[in-house]
Amino acid sequence: MTDIYIPATSDTPEINFKFSSNTLSMSGEAYPENGVEFFRPILRQLQSHLKSLNGDAVEFNFKLTYFNSVSTKVFYSMFELLNEYAKAHPNSVLLNWHHDEDDDTILELGQDVQEDFTWIDFNAVVLA
Amino acid sequence: MLIDLFTVFREEADANGIVFYYSGILSQNVITTMSDSLKQKLQIQDEKGARSRKLFSTFIEMIQNALHYSPRAPGSDDTKEGSIIVGKKDDKYFVICANFIQKQHEARIREKIDPILEMSADEIRQAYRTQLKNDRHSSDTISKGAGLGFLTLARDSVEPIQYAIREAVGFENELSCFYLKATI
Repeated sequence: MTDIYIPATSDTPEINFKFSSNTLSMSGEAYPENGVEFFRPILRQLQSHLKSLNGDAVEFNFKLTYFNSVSTKVFYSMFELLNEYAKAHPNSVLLNWHHDEDDDTILELGQDVQEDFTWIDFNAVVLA
Repeated sequence: MLIDLFTVFREEADANGIVFYYSGILSQNVITTMSDSLKQKLQIQDEKGARSRKLFSTFIEMIQNALHYSPRAPGSDDTKEGSIIVGKKDDKYFVICANFIQKQHEARIREKIDPILEMSADEIRQAYRTQLKNDRHSSDTISKGAGLGFLTLARDSVEPIQYAIREAVGFENELSCFYLKATI
């Protein structure tokens, strides 16, 4: 599977999905006009990549500082894919959840993610 | 004299704590430009941290809601129009957005917002989580979002969100004006 690299724009994040090393990173802000359409191809590729793996460790670095409601929903679908994979291959997925210390919105969402996707190893990281 | 009129408009806006005002064509480009401007303005006002983030989020949810759901502006080919204001009163920020809606969608919008107005902060948070986990986009085929927009606004607003649907003067048969307000 070819790696995905999409540079950030003012309303879309930097997406750096290195499938070759199973290191997936997203940073910046996400509020595209149509979030579902923007992320659909990325979700598809992630899904087919995960299908091709057999227990390899996957690391996801979530470093977004703002995302709108539609993007939030899309990320939940992304975590669902990772959770399913981790369910089939326990302890295979690490989610590094970067957040600003005073950002209670992203902090709270992280707590929800942790509760809703129990197969994913969740690691909260405070942004310096 | 128009300059005098505009002077009054500007001075009144300043005196009433208006941070930002826009009325005109809506597009994603206009939205990202406004976002940059609002961010800089908040920085200058030294508004940092959680409140600044919530204010920004509220601004984006409202203006994208207007972009997605307003019908094309009367007399235009395919442009959307809306107005948004951000201001500060009694040490709280407010955001009010106004856009046209199709008259036939009035009931649908009321059905979506009215239950949220009755919810406590905990209930809003619960409804938000339920909607977030809800895989299917419900049976609402008009909704282009995730059904999370109004709940996100309600969650971040320190006072209950308010809305009003008023007559669109000159287009009473097809259109109405939708106003939405949140307080941060």
